[in-house]
Amino acid sequence: MEQLVNVVFSAAFLAAVLRVSTPIILAALGGLISELGGVINIALEGSMLVAACAGVLVSVWTQSALLGLLAGVFSGTLLALILAFFHLNLKADLILAAIALNLLASGGTIFVVYLVTGDKSSTSRLVSGQMPFLRDVIPGIMNLEQIGPILNQNLLTYAAFVLTVAVAVFLYRTPLGIHLRAVGENAEAARSVGINVSHMQYLALGLSGLLASLGGVYLSMGYVKFFARDMTGGRGFIALAAIYLGAKRPLGTLIAALVFGAAEALAIQLGNLRVPTQLVQTIPYFATLIALVVYAVVQRQRTLARQRRFRETRTA
Amino acid sequence: MQSAAPISFDRAAERKAVQDERRRSSLIDLGVTLATIVAALLLGFIVIWLLGKNPIQAYEALLTGPLTRMGRAGRWLEVATNLILVGLSVAIPFRARQFSLGAQGQMVVGAIMGALVAIYLPLPPVIGVLVPVAVAMASSFLLGLLPGLMKAYLNANEIVSTLMLNAIVLRLYDFVLTYFLKPAGSSTTRSLPVQPTARLATFSDIFPGLDLGRFNLGVIFVVLSIVGVWLLLERMPFGYAIRTIGANENFARYGGINTKRTIALSFAAGGAVAALAGMHLLMGVHNRLFLDIVGNIGWDGITVALLARNNPLLVPISGLFYAYLLVGGDRVEQQVQVGSELVQVIQAVIILMITAQVLGDWIRARRAHGRRIADSG
Repeated sequence: MEQLVNVVFSAAFLAAVLRVSTPIILAALGGLISELGGVINIALEGSMLVAACAGVLVSVWTQSALLGLLAGVFSGTLLALILAFFHLNLKADLILAAIALNLLASGGTIFVVYLVTGDKSSTSRLVSGQMPFLRDVIPGIMNLEQIGPILNQNLLTYAAFVLTVAVAVFLYRTPLGIHLRAVGENAEAARSVGINVSHMQYLALGLSGLLASLGGVYLSMGYVKFFARDMTGGRGFIALAAIYLGAKRPLGTLIAALVFGAAEALAIQLGNLRVPTQLVQTIPYFATLIALVVYAVVQRQRTLARQRRFRETRTA
Repeated sequence: MQSAAPISFDRAAERKAVQDERRRSSLIDLGVTLATIVAALLLGFIVIWLLGKNPIQAYEALLTGPLTRMGRAGRWLEVATNLILVGLSVAIPFRARQFSLGAQGQMVVGAIMGALVAIYLPLPPVIGVLVPVAVAMASSFLLGLLPGLMKAYLNANEIVSTLMLNAIVLRLYDFVLTYFLKPAGSSTTRSLPVQPTARLATFSDIFPGLDLGRFNLGVIFVVLSIVGVWLLLERMPFGYAIRTIGANENFARYGGINTKRTIALSFAAGGAVAALAGMHLLMGVHNRLFLDIVGNIGWDGITVALLARNNPLLVPISGLFYAYLLVGGDRVEQQVQVGSELVQVIQAVIILMITAQVLGDWIRARRAHGRRIADSG
């Protein structure tokens, strides 16, 4: 137990939490926008995977990490826009079309990797680009005792925190974001006041794909420097869970994603301490189930309270 | 508007007209489905050709592979047994427009709860099969009921809850298998074999000289499930309630249907059928538990149910077809090395095209338009 406490309160552990949380934060922010726009994106996983793959391949080909990033973001966003096209224009069921796109991403990326490398499992034989770490920008930080290793995160990790604020401002402080949430709240009402529902939902899905893609690029060009088959490993779905655990708020989603990251990092540590990792790994999923129930109950209480107030004002 | 048509009170004629219309509509669906499959296969053909491989050779392997040897045909039927069972299980909640993605976890829970009985409890023949199956079905029923209750009474998103439950169940399965069921000193993570009386005999055992691989008596589960699910959905009040909710939940509620209870039970009923797939894998195919026993069957079952438009009588056809593609894909693997991924891509394209309702609706609209012109002229 003491050993465990020492591990959890170490600088290395905090650094690990930030490292493993980053892709979940980014994908969850994307999922949040899609959920608030009324078109929850189940294909976050697919966008991440496609972006991770395209990022590595283009960075190898062009020898530029930046071009890799752009290619990854472009292709992951494209996948989300295909989902939007099928759902909004071809009237495909949002969930089923997303399931199909996840399958397409999983099979398609392996296919492409095989074409390029002749290997079906990973691109580890290629020398991929990597997104810069803080150390590369401010070389001095490694000299700082203790906090140096914590601060030396990938720039995409810093981007995840900045983007949380940006998403919050976008959703609650800009007309576009407020329109987007109005569409998610009640599409008919939004339409009746002249908001273009289809455009808003295209925007919601496109942005969700863009943010998830950043998470995907981080996985293959930040966390490691290669693409491996199905390397997202369900993070896109965990991100969806983080939205509910975070009560559909940007800050809540960020905290929820960090909780998932902490549980993952803890599972790795406990594995070294001979505690069954399988049990530790279930913690975030149980937390999500409970959060889902709590969120649903709170929502219902609110609705009931609102109805009661409405009745009272009418009788008064 | 068909304003020219006189109002008719001839019940028999009306019913016939409705049935004709329904038949035409399902013919259109069938046509669209077949066209989709052909288009997806064509896409795969072009991809292989672009790879610089021989697409004709690859497609020969894909389309004739499962029939080239008896053992491969057996493998095809064995895979189809699984897919049909999962397809039927998924079709029940899908029919109520509930996206339960929990089949994967339900199969695993069924397999492990059934295995506890089937491995450690010696029972006489027949009972040795029935008791584990009953335990498995009851466990998976309860696992299905949980997200069902959460959705029906709390409006908690079923996609997230079923995916979370799948993740939890898979890790608990790993835990129980590694720490309790793995015999001491064994190097591979797998359980002891099930009791001899808990085995579903393979057809190769029953008819010596006939090599149908591991295709086994689990096919009885399939026959019973097809009949059972069909009766449930098409001939029982519960099925009527499910279908009405699927068509319009508000209408169902105003019509006096207990929508909450029906929705919750639709998840649970699907779970009970999914357990049969788990038991087929345990008692018929592998005879013991190991880590990745269910593979990708949960997702494949969704494709099968969709191809059959959640119609229990069509699920066997789509299950056989899809299993054929999977086994053929393994054969292509030897020709172009990426057979299974290719099948996955084809699978994805098929689902995407089928979910795009526009095509069928467009044909229907054209026909209605044509009829109006005929009526007015």
